[in-house]
Amino acid sequence: MNMETKPHRPPYLGYGLGLRVEHYETLLEQPGNVEWLEIVSENYLVPGGRPLVWLERFRERFPLAMHGVSMSIGSADPLDEDYLARLAALARHIEPAWVSDHLCWTGVQGINLHDLMPLPYTEEALAHVVERILLENVSSYISFADSQLTEWQFLAAVAERADCLILLDINNIYVSARNHGFSPLDYLDGIPAQRVQQFHLAGHEHGGALIIDTHDAPVAHAVWDLYIEAVKRYGHVSTMIERDDHIPPLAELLAELEHARALAAPLLQRAA
Amino acid sequence: MSSLQALQQRLLQAVLADKTPKLPELRGDALADPATRLDVYRHGYRIRLRDALAIEFPGLRLMAGRRFGHLLDSYVEAHPSAHYNIRWHGAGLAAFLEFSRLWRDKPALAEMARLDWAISSAFDAADEPVISATDLAGVPAEAWAGLCLVPQSHLQILPVTCNVDTFRRAADQAAPRPHLRRYPRPRHLLVWRQELTVRYRVLSEDERPLLNAALREESFTSLCELLAEYHDPNQAMPRMTTLLRHWLEAGLISAYRLESTHDS
Repeated sequence: MNMETKPHRPPYLGYGLGLRVEHYETLLEQPGNVEWLEIVSENYLVPGGRPLVWLERFRERFPLAMHGVSMSIGSADPLDEDYLARLAALARHIEPAWVSDHLCWTGVQGINLHDLMPLPYTEEALAHVVERILLENVSSYISFADSQLTEWQFLAAVAERADCLILLDINNIYVSARNHGFSPLDYLDGIPAQRVQQFHLAGHEHGGALIIDTHDAPVAHAVWDLYIEAVKRYGHVSTMIERDDHIPPLAELLAELEHARALAAPLLQRAA
Repeated sequence: MSSLQALQQRLLQAVLADKTPKLPELRGDALADPATRLDVYRHGYRIRLRDALAIEFPGLRLMAGRRFGHLLDSYVEAHPSAHYNIRWHGAGLAAFLEFSRLWRDKPALAEMARLDWAISSAFDAADEPVISATDLAGVPAEAWAGLCLVPQSHLQILPVTCNVDTFRRAADQAAPRPHLRRYPRPRHLLVWRQELTVRYRVLSEDERPLLNAALREESFTSLCELLAEYHDPNQAMPRMTTLLRHWLEAGLISAYRLESTHDS
């Protein structure tokens, strides 16, 4: 597998948060040490009204990255042209540092499951995706008998062949590693460092035998440990905390962000 | 059909199915069998839609009470989601409640869903300009006969037979569930957005046909003739002035145009 192509990478943004309605006012009044924000693109693909007014305020104060959940790049269905046109219009307007989505499919036959469904790691799926672009690794609970590659081999091959960057979700690696019994360090070792543009950190919950990627809890200790390993391998990578449910006061997320900084700082100094 | 397409279609049907089917394509291991793994997605699909709809339909949640979960489940089972934005799955809920055998004998539920959805739609409808009394003050007196008001395009008028607005207000204020009251005659609710705030109110009997005529961009002369059917000649023009002032102050009118009233 050729890993030598050097991609163009957008700037390093530091430590950020996912923008959530619950924090709108506090974040503008007391942003603390938040350096950038990631928005969920779909929340702002609307004709007008309050969401876009708020977005304009944040755009004036923070660098933004757009993160989508609906591109469904791995679906056998054609890409949704209407969605892409709206996404492109939003990107033209807010000029984000980058735009990302997930290496997954969210529906087929015109039906949307509103979930990040994993792909079989096959040459056929690989060829299908690289014609399209982007991407974040998803957490998964199922795997396919037909898979020929590991997940990290598949992700790395997609990034190389499509010449795109990777949003590496550290929590998702941990969740999938536990659910499928592979080593998360093997995963990190298999991803080309020059293509890692962003980290996601998030919480999960234990749902019986499997771990569920819920984004509704603080980042777990084991995920922090994996984050350290990721920083050792990839160096300065823009990092953000993702919380989508049981949204706590902003101060709790700022404390998690400080923890990420504190963990990474000595490793980055040593590497410098 | 490619094998990727076939696999995705089988997995989609497995997520939507009533019971967990066996899919030989999925691997199991000592940690969990394929059915347990598949159930994470099956459960997630239903919970995610249910949670999203609950946010969009607070009035319906209050009105339906303990039946709300069953109501949403029956809708989600009958109607798979087709839009990339999960919120938009709510667009068909009122029609489902109106025609479904399970719920059609409780018409208040469909009316409530219709109001909730109108409020949700107005929330992020396209921004449009608003004109004021000052803008109309510049219209020459002789041109008023051909004046056509252009209301905000997101504005909606909903017929209701019970006090759904009371339920919505109670839901927004976390107040106790009100009593359901049926009106002796249908009323009409106006839903619109004034700047960034969505508002709704009951339309008076003479205001509804007038606003409908304005929505059809009929001339000021036509509006006055309509109002004359509800008031004696001395009262019609002052009433027209009052209503027009209220519409302008509430931000209901986005523009006006002038039609020539001369015969060619």
